[in-house]
Order: sequence, then C-alpha cells, then structure tokens
Amino acid sequence: MAHRLGGRRKNVKKGFQFTFMVVGASGTGRTTFVNTLCDSGVLPKKISDNPEEAHNEAGIKIKPVSVELDEDGVRISLTIVDTPGFGDNIDNEKCFQEIVGYLESQYDDILAEENRIKRNPRFRDNRVHALLYFIAPTGHALREIDIELMRRLSPRVNVIPVIGRADSLTPQELRDFKRRIMEDIEHYNIPIYNFPYDPEEDDEDTVEENSELRTLLPFAIIGSDEEIVVNGRTVRGRQYPWGAVEVDNPKHSDFARLRSALLSSHLQDLKEITHDFLYENYRTEKLSRTINGGDQDGAALDADEMASQSVRLKEEQLRREEEKLRDIELKVQKEIQEKRQELLAKEEALRSLEARLAAAQLQDAA
Amino acid sequence: MAAASPVESVPPAPIASIGTGIANLPNQRHKIVAKNGANFTLMVCGESGLGKTTFVNTLFTTAIKDQKNLNRRKVKQPAKTVQVQITKAELEEKMFKVKLTVIDTPGFGDYVNNRHAWIPIVDFIDDQHEKYMRQEQQPSRKGIVDMRVHACLYFIKPTGHSLNPLDVEVMKRLGSRVNLIPVIAKADTLTPADLAKFKESIRDVIAAQNIRVYSCPIESDDEASTKRNHNIMNAMPFSVIGSTQDVTTSDGRSVKGREYSWGVAEVENEEHCDFKKLRSLLVRTHMLDLISTTEEVHYENYRQSQMETRKFGDPRSQPSENPKFKEEEEVLRKKFTEQVKAEEQRFRMWEQQLLAERDRLHKELESQNDKIKELQGELDAYYYSQRDSPKSIRK
Repeated sequence: MAHRLGGRRKNVKKGFQFTFMVVGASGTGRTTFVNTLCDSGVLPKKISDNPEEAHNEAGIKIKPVSVELDEDGVRISLTIVDTPGFGDNIDNEKCFQEIVGYLESQYDDILAEENRIKRNPRFRDNRVHALLYFIAPTGHALREIDIELMRRLSPRVNVIPVIGRADSLTPQELRDFKRRIMEDIEHYNIPIYNFPYDPEEDDEDTVEENSELRTLLPFAIIGSDEEIVVNGRTVRGRQYPWGAVEVDNPKHSDFARLRSALLSSHLQDLKEITHDFLYENYRTEKLSRTINGGDQDGAALDADEMASQSVRLKEEQLRREEEKLRDIELKVQKEIQEKRQELLAKEEALRSLEARLAAAQLQDAA
Repeated sequence: MAAASPVESVPPAPIASIGTGIANLPNQRHKIVAKNGANFTLMVCGESGLGKTTFVNTLFTTAIKDQKNLNRRKVKQPAKTVQVQITKAELEEKMFKVKLTVIDTPGFGDYVNNRHAWIPIVDFIDDQHEKYMRQEQQPSRKGIVDMRVHACLYFIKPTGHSLNPLDVEVMKRLGSRVNLIPVIAKADTLTPADLAKFKESIRDVIAAQNIRVYSCPIESDDEASTKRNHNIMNAMPFSVIGSTQDVTTSDGRSVKGREYSWGVAEVENEEHCDFKKLRSLLVRTHMLDLISTTEEVHYENYRQSQMETRKFGDPRSQPSENPKFKEEEEVLRKKFTEQVKAEEQRFRMWEQQLLAERDRLHKELESQNDKIKELQGELDAYYYSQRDSPKSIRK
C-alpha cells in the first residue's frame, strides 16, 4: 500500500488515465450505471428503435467514450467502452469474438509501439484495465452466456462481475444469488479479479480492505441519473409506489463501494495487473505463435463433432489417393530419367560411331 | 367443454308458474357443468429467472409447481435444448373442481444460441390439436384426453426498452396458434414512468410486427362488465409481481408481497402491478372465453388447414425434424462436396500433365529411335560398301 500511496502522490498532478469496459445484455443497467458513476449523461440512453425493425438482429457495437473526472482532487482521464447489442441477438456466438478482438487489438497496438525503433512519446494507451460484466438479476445462478463470456475474457482483461438492477431482489434473495454466483465461478474455474492480497506480505489494512471487498463480490448495483426527495433530502435514486431506493445508500446498493474501489483504491492495482500480467501473457502467446508458424489455423474445417468423423475418413481416403498419385508421379519421373539416360547413352554411341565413320571416311579419302 | 352427458329430467314445474319452464334450462346447465368440472391448460413461456413458477403459484394461491432446485444445477449437464414440462393439479373451490395443467418451457432463451428455440413449443401446441383431432375421428369418442393449450403467457424481460428479436419471433409464431397474453415479468424493477414507456413501446412493436395477441370481447350486457373489460384490455401487456409469502406493510396490513429495505411491493395492489387484472382475465371472468376461443378458433383453424391438404385418416407429415441439425448438416455437406470437387480437379489436371509429359517423351524416344535407325542404316550401307573394297579400310 505504501508504494501505491507514493505513486499516487507523484501522479496527483499529472492525473491518471483509466479505461474500463461495460458489458451486459440490454436492460441490465449499464448505461445508467456509467452515467451515475460520472454524475453526468456520458452515454446516451437507448432510443427504442423503429418497432418495424424489432425483429432484426443488430450486431454488437463497441463504442469508447472519454470523460474527465475529478475524484478527491485527483484528475482522472476516464475512457469508458460501451458494448450495446451484446446478448440481444437470437444467436450470440459472434459477440464474444468482437469483444475479444477489440481487447486484443489494443494489445497489438502496444506491442507494435514497443517494437518501434523510434517510439511515439504521446502514444495513447488504450488497453482496457477492467471489465464490468452485468449479470441479469434472475435470482437463480449464472447462465450459459455469463459463464462463456467471463471465461473467454478473463485471460485478456480483469473481469469484475456485477449484478445489474439489483433492486429487483429482496435482501435474502440477493444474499443467496451472490453466494450461488460465487459458487459457480469457483466451480467453472473462472479467474475473475477478486481483489488479490497476500496475507503475509501486505499490511493489515490492505488485507482487511481487500477481503471485505471480496465478500461483496459480485457487486449489487442500482443506478439512477434522476434525483428524488427522500425524507426531505435530495438524493439520487428511484421512486417506486412502495418506497424509494437510494443509489448511494450502502444498505441498498454496493454502488459507492464499487466506485471507490474502481476509481481510487484499486485503480493502480488494476492497471498494474493489466500491464504486468495480462499484457505479458498475451505478448508471450502471440510471439510464440508467430514462431511456430500459422499451421494451427490452416485447417479449413472447424471440425463440428457431428459429421467430423465421416469427414475425417474421407480426408484419409483423399490423402491415400494423393500419396498413390505421388508415387505414380515419382515412378513416371524415374522412367523418364531412365529413358533419358538411355537416349544419352545411345547418342554417345552414335556420336562415337559417327566420329569413327568420319575418321574412316577421311582415311578413305586420303 | 366436456362431452355432453344425458340431460337430467326436467323437475316438475311448480303449479303456480307462468310459462313452460324453459327458463330453468340455464340452471340445469349449471348443475351439469358444476358436476363435470372444468379442464384448463395454461402454458408459461419465457427465460428462466423471470418468475414464471412463482406467478403460477401466486395465481392459484397454492404451490402447484416446485421452485427450481438450484443445488442440482451443476449435477446434470445442460442438454442445450428447450424442453416441455407438464405439471397437473386439481383445484377445488366451493365444490367445483378444475383440472389444471401447467406447461412450462425450461431452457427457452437461456443459451448463447437460441435459434430454433421455439420449435419444441410450437410443435407441442400443434401436437395437442393433432391428438384431439385424431381422437375425434375415432369410432369411440368416450374419454378423450384434451390437453389443448387454452392460454399462453409470454413473460417479457423487464429491460425497460423494447422487445428483442427472440421475443418477436416467438410471439409471432405463438400468436397464430394459441391465445397469447404478453406479461411483463418482475415488474417491481420498473418505476411507474419506466413501466408506462415500456408498455407503449411493446404495444407499438406488437402492432408493427402484426403479432396476434388475445383480446377478450369487450361489449357485455351490463355497464360495469364493459368498463371492466375495457380496463383489462388497456392494461395489456400486464405487469406482474409474484409472491407466495405473506409480509407486513408499513401500515400493518398483512399481504402477499415482496419486502425490500425500502418498502413492500404488494401483489394485489392495483397501483403496484396488474396482477388482479390478469387473474380476472385468466380465472374469474374470462376463463370460459379462453377455452371456447381455443376450441372454436384455433382448433378449427388447425383442423381446416390440415384437412385441406390431408386425406381423412392420413398420418401427419413429419414436423420439421430439428432444422438446427439439418442446417449444420447442409453446411458441412456443401463444404465437403466443394473440397472433393477441388481435389478431383487437381488430380485430373495432374493426370493430364503426366500424360502429356509421357507422350512428349515417347515422341522424343521415337524420333531418337528413328535417327538411330537411319544412322545404323547408313553405317551398314557404308560397311557393306567398304567390305566390297576391303583394301581401302585395311590401309
């Protein structure tokens, strides 16, 4: 923690740069969360599209937005990447690829920049330092799309699971839901960012803080960009006929804790892990892949387990035929060679005969 | 409804009555119906976690369906298909029995790829019509098993935006086969303003996409009913909160609801959700209409379309045999045929090349052979000529 503080003091004047991405199905409260976090309408709300096009599947769009924040006197240059359209299609396979592609292209940029002889001093680091994944508040457990996404993205970015629209769960339901999600995460071995600490190395405060944050995972988020009046106070919240939910009340939502963790206490840690660990892994993988050659992606068939057996058999057959033909080719070539040798030999013989004839003729003539 | 049983004999008309006693017929009907009971099949459709089971249990104030057992979620491997789950129950209130069947669709919309998720559901509905039709055509029609779906509740995720493509696809297909009633699930996550906007946007999409939803007859004999029917239809899609637990509100009442740290959302409070209206629609006032619409409209449509193309007694043409598999099969087959064709081409060209080479070399050989023969001939000729004058060579 000490070195972190020192780092902060140094950077206070310069300000920090931080990028995070929000991913989640439509209606889980992404946009509202971002607007609540930045206290301003950073992202535009989804305008309900033309009802006549409601049956069309729009793909996923990745949009980064930059905003300047002032947090406790520290300037933060925040870049937020929104991913509208994720999980809204009938078939969502391609969505994962797009997001992973985006993350990897940021890493590629850095890789290219590092390898330049003359580096650009004003190079902008667009790597994503954290990814907030919004889980729909079903109250049951993780769904297939949740598990798939977190699993595919954890090797590239710090994934922090978050329960969106947590005001649809009663306190008991929320506790059970959180517990089941963490059980699932452990069961499927998904490496999320869980505020790592070392009980031997770090000091007590850090250990306490991190373990407390760990128990709050996944954070239950309620967002609102509207202000309501509760008991005479004006707060950010949502007004229902049966009561009012306050965004900043820690008994109602974990929003405040997440905000402070993301923007002050753990900002540096997230950046470090992204650079020292995730980026290095990517770099190693990528460089060793290019050394080994692109054989891996040569296979034209993405083997679908279903018909792959027969396909493989036919492939074997084809291979055998190829070999046979190759043998035939070799044989024919050998024949050709032999014939050529014969020809040459005969030519030699002829020539010598000719020579002798010529000599004999000369002698004769003489 | 059920097959008619023999009419009970008319009780002797009281001596002082005016008229013949025909006006007593409705009472007779009432007795018959009351004795037979009713048969109602309800389908709930929607992603998991939207409160379908809780709603059904709340509607009939009894635990008809079991809540999903989440402790076993890791034990069984997901089959990745939509299943049809049937739960039967018999309800009795004031000596009147209702045989209730609840159809659930676990797995719908839960996967990454939900293409063709609606096929098992649509097939099930058609199957019930088919089964009934078959039984009707049998010589003996006693004891017909009727599981035709009388109403389908489609649970919409409370995103607050609009319907997503999967919703639109499914609702289109369901609406033409069954009485479709759209329902906004877990409505306690939407503020009144959000809810109004959401309902409007859903209604727009339903209109624009030509989705058929159930609409009950509004006109009725008395004013109150007409007004009530109007209210009910205007509230479509119905926002729903489900709960089987009793909680105490801030003013001391004990109600069915959900208790949050900021208040209690009540199930039966009209300002909180449309549960009462939906219950009225499904049970109290329009159950009969739902049943008769199913029989008169949807079943007749099905029957008509089937009889136009099939002879009496013919088996049904197989429903689309899992087009998902067919699709994949087609793609693979195409890929494979292309590959084979390409390889064959290559081989053919290769063969031709080899043949050409061989011919060329043969020709070369031939020409060389000819040359050799020529020279040999010359040699011989010379040799003979020399032999005839041997002296010149020996020199």
